[in-house]
Amino acid sequence: MTLSRSAAVRVGLIVFVAVLVQVSVVSQIPLFGGRANLIPVAVAALALLGGSLTGAAAGFTAGLMLDLAMGMSLGGSSLVFTFVGYLIGRFAELRDVSHGLLPIAVVAAGTLGYDVAYGAITFMLDIEATVSVLVLRDMLVGLLLNSLLALPLFALVRRIVRPFVAAGRFEARRRGRPRETGPIGLRGLGLGGR
Amino acid sequence: MYPDRKTIRRRRAIFGALVATSLALLTVWFGEPAGGALHALQRGAQEVLSPIQTGASRALKPFRDAIAWTGDTLSAKGANDELRDEVGQLRQELAATQTARRDVEQLQGFVDIARDGSFPQGTRPVTARVIARSPTVWWSSVQINKGSGDGIEVDQPVITGDGLAGKVTTVTDGTATITLIADERSSVSAQVMPAGADGIVRPKVGNPDDLLLDFVEKGSRIRTGQTVVTSGFRSSRGLESLFPRGVPVGRVKKIDRSELDIYQTVHIEPFAELKRMDFVQVLTAAQPGARAEVPSQ
Repeated sequence: MTLSRSAAVRVGLIVFVAVLVQVSVVSQIPLFGGRANLIPVAVAALALLGGSLTGAAAGFTAGLMLDLAMGMSLGGSSLVFTFVGYLIGRFAELRDVSHGLLPIAVVAAGTLGYDVAYGAITFMLDIEATVSVLVLRDMLVGLLLNSLLALPLFALVRRIVRPFVAAGRFEARRRGRPRETGPIGLRGLGLGGR
Repeated sequence: MYPDRKTIRRRRAIFGALVATSLALLTVWFGEPAGGALHALQRGAQEVLSPIQTGASRALKPFRDAIAWTGDTLSAKGANDELRDEVGQLRQELAATQTARRDVEQLQGFVDIARDGSFPQGTRPVTARVIARSPTVWWSSVQINKGSGDGIEVDQPVITGDGLAGKVTTVTDGTATITLIADERSSVSAQVMPAGADGIVRPKVGNPDDLLLDFVEKGSRIRTGQTVVTSGFRSSRGLESLFPRGVPVGRVKKIDRSELDIYQTVHIEPFAELKRMDFVQVLTAAQPGARAEVPSQ
């Protein structure tokens, strides 16, 4: 799917606001010893709604902005978020993602994927470090907070990008029939309303 | 409807290009010196984004305070019962009061530390507010709302009211990035007082409440509870520490002595609350080129 110019502007705006609010506000609010991270939520929402190309582009842009704004290793976050966005987008293209609770599972997977992959890159590039219990606890709390934010933020992003997200938008990129997805992203569970 | 080869190729090509660009950026960024093109681009981006970040940080402060207050309240046992019946207006007022009190406590810390006899002389402390934090879980860096326009330069030490916090790593006109002592790249020469045992403070990455004082000679008598301060060494060849002598770093909480190791490792609990600091002070030079000194006793 090729994004129209206005759609690309909306996606860019969502990414820009997500990064800005994350570094200026959300990162400074400790909750239960951890912090939410809006960026994986925004990238996951855009990828789930727009597909793999939108997800990869949104992930790359968000990561690059984060690296530039925070003086982090340039390219590290963009690499990880590109993969996160692309993989979630492919998941959306290959599966039927209509279930209302799916965003929670997708955001949890995206957040965990970002934390683990960015941690791995940090280890590979820089340091001998220990993964303390504190890090694992913070990851877990962040993952839970992001999961709580998933549904409202998905609704918000869907509202903003609705004009270019139409039913059956992924048909052109599927190689076969989409497989069914359960309420928490597990194929075949078949629970909940559809 | 199945995708044609062109669509698949296009999708893969764009994804590959984004990944390759990220890898190229990473490679060049690590390979170039601090004054290189990408580092300059990063400083430029920070210069552009800093007014927006500062504006957003200020505009959303009431919202942030309200959420922070909620988090503090939830985590404080018993406080919920007393506050449950309060109406929204009172909660807002309480949030504002608590935030102001916390700010005052932190700022009071700066006054106290400045009166301390060990406070490095020859510095002009610049107080700044933390406006952004790295969202990773490694507590590596924060951004402050003062920059080169306030006399801040790269490599200047940064403290909180409690002790050493880190050093300045990048500066724009209106902001600066602080690399914290919990960052993996940090190392600070320090001494355990009053024993005077020297060592290098390094982070136990991922745990900002635990720093390690490495390379401490085995014979040194160190006890838990003793204070660790920066040693501010100066060699005969002109090499000197970025950190002035005497800045409090933390308190000894555990000592690892192994029969096999040449040195002992000392675990330190940092004085600075790296996870919850709202204000910091950058120890800028009082005069250009001047360095911080500890007053002779």
